[in-house]
Amino acid sequence: MSSSTAPGAIGAETRGRTDGPVPRGERPAGRRAGRRIGRNKWFSPWLFAAPGLLVVCAFSLYPFLSTVYNSFTDRRTLIPGHWVGFANYRELWHDDAFWTGLRNSALYVVVVVPALVVLPLLLAMLVQRRIPGIGFFRAAFYTPVVASIVVVGLIWVWLLDDRGLINSLLEALGAGKVNFLGDQWLLLFCAMAVTIWKGLGYYMIVYLAALANVPQELHEAAAMDGAGAIRRFVSVTMPAVRSTMVLVAALSSVAAFKVFSEVYLIAGPNGGPAGEDTTLVMLVERTGTGLSGRVGYASALSVVIFVVVVVLMLLVLRADRKEDA
Amino acid sequence: MRFPRRAVLAAACVAAVVPLAACGGGSGSSSGSSSASGPVKGTITFQTWNLKANFKDYFNGVIADFEKKYPGTTVKWVDQPADGYADKLSADATAGTLPDVVNVTPDLLAPLAKAGIALDLDQSASKYTKEYLPGAWAADQVPGLKGTYAFPWYLNTGPLFYNKTLFTKAGLDASKPPTTYNDLFDDALKIAKQSKGKIATLANVPTIEDFGRYGAQLTTSDGTGFAFNDAKGVELLTRYKQLYDAGALDSQALTATPESAGHKFLTESVAMNPGSALDLQNFKTSAPSLYKNIGITNQITNTGKVNMYVQSVMVNAGTKQKPAAIAFAHFVTDAQSQMAFAKKVAIFPSTAGSLKDPYFTQQDGTDVTRVRVAAAQSLSNAVNYTPVQFSDQMKTELGNEVAKALQGKESPKQALDNAVKNCDQLLQQS
Repeated sequence: MSSSTAPGAIGAETRGRTDGPVPRGERPAGRRAGRRIGRNKWFSPWLFAAPGLLVVCAFSLYPFLSTVYNSFTDRRTLIPGHWVGFANYRELWHDDAFWTGLRNSALYVVVVVPALVVLPLLLAMLVQRRIPGIGFFRAAFYTPVVASIVVVGLIWVWLLDDRGLINSLLEALGAGKVNFLGDQWLLLFCAMAVTIWKGLGYYMIVYLAALANVPQELHEAAAMDGAGAIRRFVSVTMPAVRSTMVLVAALSSVAAFKVFSEVYLIAGPNGGPAGEDTTLVMLVERTGTGLSGRVGYASALSVVIFVVVVVLMLLVLRADRKEDA
Repeated sequence: MRFPRRAVLAAACVAAVVPLAACGGGSGSSSGSSSASGPVKGTITFQTWNLKANFKDYFNGVIADFEKKYPGTTVKWVDQPADGYADKLSADATAGTLPDVVNVTPDLLAPLAKAGIALDLDQSASKYTKEYLPGAWAADQVPGLKGTYAFPWYLNTGPLFYNKTLFTKAGLDASKPPTTYNDLFDDALKIAKQSKGKIATLANVPTIEDFGRYGAQLTTSDGTGFAFNDAKGVELLTRYKQLYDAGALDSQALTATPESAGHKFLTESVAMNPGSALDLQNFKTSAPSLYKNIGITNQITNTGKVNMYVQSVMVNAGTKQKPAAIAFAHFVTDAQSQMAFAKKVAIFPSTAGSLKDPYFTQQDGTDVTRVRVAAAQSLSNAVNYTPVQFSDQMKTELGNEVAKALQGKESPKQALDNAVKNCDQLLQQS
């Protein structure tokens, strides 16, 4: 293929790069075009990426770096503070509230993540079938996702109150009242139940998309070989959606570790009786906000959360790689 | 285009975790350079705390009157919601965008004054000092600092409501509600015993105000530390522990908020609850059966002095329109404006002599007036029991240690010693 268009016309740069030797008389113009190509090749992608990069730098990277820096200072909300080295981290090590928060956040991950990996998948398989009225159920399961977390929290507090619906039912059945909102562990598990209930619909949609890509022929072939429903689920469905399960595990791990709203709304601003239900992010909020907030200490807490979550992600990705191998 | 699956996963993870560590703020001290003297003119911003919804006309009237009195001035009024007000103040103060005139409470004022953001009125507006009740003026002084950092605005003191039916069912005389903590504890134990633990008398754990009303010493004499772990403080917490064990303190009190405690009283599962005259209307519409049996009494106190809540108006030390800002802050809080405001809502003026107005002294036979007159009388020797240096973090520390004592995880003495130690540490770090 050869060029018949005069140099400088639209598209000449591209042709100069791809259309083979340039005619002798046109070489100088071709070199200039080549230099422009080189410059544009370097510049153009950045130009397109610039708006996004600026936003990322302003709202993610700068605050992140600023937080890391602040974690080495004794900065307060209204007082700039001084460099204190690792003092905040040393204080964390001896802070009971930090260990309580770490325990609760870790427990949240351990309980919530398996539930959010498995239950939405089962739910997705239930609502995957094309039967009349299934749209209603899909919408119903998705409704908690779009509901305001504050409204959700209030509803659950009403349900769990000692004069609420659940306790009234328990009393009607002859069982005693359960102090859901006054007991340290019940409070935490109630908050976990709310998180799972609110997350089911979201991950159900993710799984529905994955299930739609599972070839029907594989199921049919397995069925012809005599595989039952459970066998088909284990041998066909699960391998097909495994990468989605890893994604759900990764995302729900992060969400569970940085849980705030559910616990705050159900256990109260103090984080349950004597603050025993406080999670790490609640501790950041409590320590670092307000006019007397210890920004430096809260920043150190945030950095620790960041590191823990990164480690958590690496573990999930490593498990995925082992499965691949 | 096809992306490697692991790369997508990694990108999703990074996007999810990076904002975790995004917690920071700017520096925030401002220093006013303009003089307090000079012509009152220019544009200023006035910030209130959740007042626009109900008192829009009142504030628009005050602003119009001020602009008329001082031609050349313009007041921009902004109102912030009740929740997160301290966070809003700290964000504005940190960013240097705090309005010129700001509604604060003494405990919010203290860190602003320490950071040099609140104007010292003893230096800039001392001529107005005598217009206010001495106690109210002193409420905006911060231990460790010289000066007064805000104009006192309206005062409030809530009555205590009680459910006459629940008192009568327990064999108590509903016409003689408790007035001291000893009476309260005795009555509460009787109600719990009579109802077999189903009816609690209180729904909140003791706060710093309770320790003050019980007679505990809250701070050291020089204000550089806390002292509520004294014998009186330990005694109060020990009695509360007895209430909790007997079911006289609601089982959810350890996680209760004032709102949830109010709901318990509304549903008649709790016999007593503090409130204000505004609550009466709420009872009338939301719980008519309760309203018929509502009893109204003064706050429980062993000291003879009830707790007083103080609202104030501070001037931003960094304002560029200092004369106008001071003039407006005074205008909003002067006797005439406060009296007009008091007639719109159940609050009490902090200006000298205002409480002698017949509006606060004469009964007309209604419950609302009875509450108002009783509250106004009690204000004559009321005390703001919340130390100005007692921050939200300190309130949490005290609440958590009180909860440990009530659960039996620590002795009352140990819990209060821990609370004082933690609060002292926070105070030193501030």
